[in-house]
Amino acid sequence: MVLWMKRFPFLLLDAGPIIKLFQLGIWEEFITKCDVTISRTVAEEAKYASLEFKDICINLDVYEEQNLVKIIDVELSNVKAFHEKFDQQYNISIHAGEKETLAFLYNSSDDWLVCSADHVVYRVLGLLGRSEQGISLEEILKQIGFSRELELIYTKKFREENTRIGQIHSIQNKGLL
Amino acid sequence: MNIGERLRIARKAIGYTLEKASQESGIGKSSLSNFENNEREPKFSQLSQLANVYRRTVEFFLTDEPFIEEVMLWRSKPNSEEEKKRTEAEFAQLCEQYRNLEVLTGEVRKAKLPEPDVDKPEEFTFERAESFARKVQNQFCLGDIPSASIKQVLEERYYVKIFHLAFSGSAISTFSPEYGYAVLLNIDKTTKQWRRNFDLAHELFHLLTWNIFATCRSQSTQPTENEEKFANAFASQLLMPDDTLRDRIDLRKNGQGQIELDHLDDIAREFGVSLDALVYRMANLFRIQKQDTEKCLDAAKKLVKFHKNRESENQEILPERYCDLALRALREGKLSTMQFAKYMGTSYKKAQEYLMENDGFMDETISISVA
Repeated sequence: MVLWMKRFPFLLLDAGPIIKLFQLGIWEEFITKCDVTISRTVAEEAKYASLEFKDICINLDVYEEQNLVKIIDVELSNVKAFHEKFDQQYNISIHAGEKETLAFLYNSSDDWLVCSADHVVYRVLGLLGRSEQGISLEEILKQIGFSRELELIYTKKFREENTRIGQIHSIQNKGLL
Repeated sequence: MNIGERLRIARKAIGYTLEKASQESGIGKSSLSNFENNEREPKFSQLSQLANVYRRTVEFFLTDEPFIEEVMLWRSKPNSEEEKKRTEAEFAQLCEQYRNLEVLTGEVRKAKLPEPDVDKPEEFTFERAESFARKVQNQFCLGDIPSASIKQVLEERYYVKIFHLAFSGSAISTFSPEYGYAVLLNIDKTTKQWRRNFDLAHELFHLLTWNIFATCRSQSTQPTENEEKFANAFASQLLMPDDTLRDRIDLRKNGQGQIELDHLDDIAREFGVSLDALVYRMANLFRIQKQDTEKCLDAAKKLVKFHKNRESENQEILPERYCDLALRALREGKLSTMQFAKYMGTSYKKAQEYLMENDGFMDETISISVA
């Protein structure tokens, strides 16, 4: 008997990659190959953002009901404690969904990976010394055999550049209170 | 201040009952009540949802700083309290977003606005309001036609936040130590450009005398009757400088020292004010009899019915500086695509398209040496 092992057992997705996967038409296959976890706020953001697209409709609750993805709610006190670590600039930059996702990752002892298309997510990881917990959509797709030509914000290059910016901020004593 | 209290303040500020907030957010009424009474803590996603409904940022609820009530002065309020509160909430949100963009791009700038030579409200007179307008005219270098440049000067040189929204009622001005000075002007279909010019000059008086009159306002949204009269005198003088106005009238008056209403209409258009405002200004400048002024105003009412909106009267909701800061913040990776869409009042799809189009231009800093 062959057991099909899913890749990325601890994968958190931000709204940008979710929307992109729907646009590429590979969402259904993607979630059969990766164990996807999404914060409730990100799920709501993706749903709201998809209303503007004619060709896609994102309702992640349907996938949650079928146990195909996991949607998590994070306690407010955890997000607040996470929020209080950063200076005003970083706090304004981190959008609500990203804040919930990053607070969850920060408070978990598991080796979560987060995939985003926003600069600040990778900068926060670099700043917090968690660089290895970021992964681009390009890298994931490559590893599960869905290689695609993607725009800059979904690439390894984008992730690395922004992680580096966060690391530099850390060295310069910027960003954290 | 705790989250419960802030939730209640935010709900009341937008004028929602618990029922209405429940309808808008999809969160049960009893849960909302529990949150506000600190009997239960909302999940973060619920807080985020409520922040959207109440037109606040999530950060507003996460801070422990004391809450400072926003004071908003209305020139004329909408009849419905619901619309008034909704407009105020929308305006406050725009101000907060503008401030956030300034913080993100490192463009928090302050400029000292001119101050009147009086310290107390009772020291103000019409003459002083008018002489203060002349001082402002000079300091702002507004030239012969102040309406043509006043908005630009206030936005670009003094960093006043000027937004446009469609609502019933007139303009709002506000000042907060956090956001600075801000004005909201009306862009509904019936509001002409000259009305907005006058509203802006009128609201400018409130901004410049904010602290002087603060002590004598009975309600936080209601300027005193005198304050309104002085603001009108100030606006009238500011938009129609004595010498230029006399000069324009001299050019058009006939041999008997009379000027036709059509010619006055031309002058009003040139100054970017209403015919009414010009007639009042002339009555004051040339000491015209009340009876003659009223006759002229009656005739003016008939004439303005023929006026049409001009193409140039279309106004954007968001100031140019605001849009530029948002684009810069997005390009520098300080604003997420989702936030950019929200700040610009556009769709995520459009924000995404903008990012794709500018794929190669991200994070680049281009500068020119001027040494």
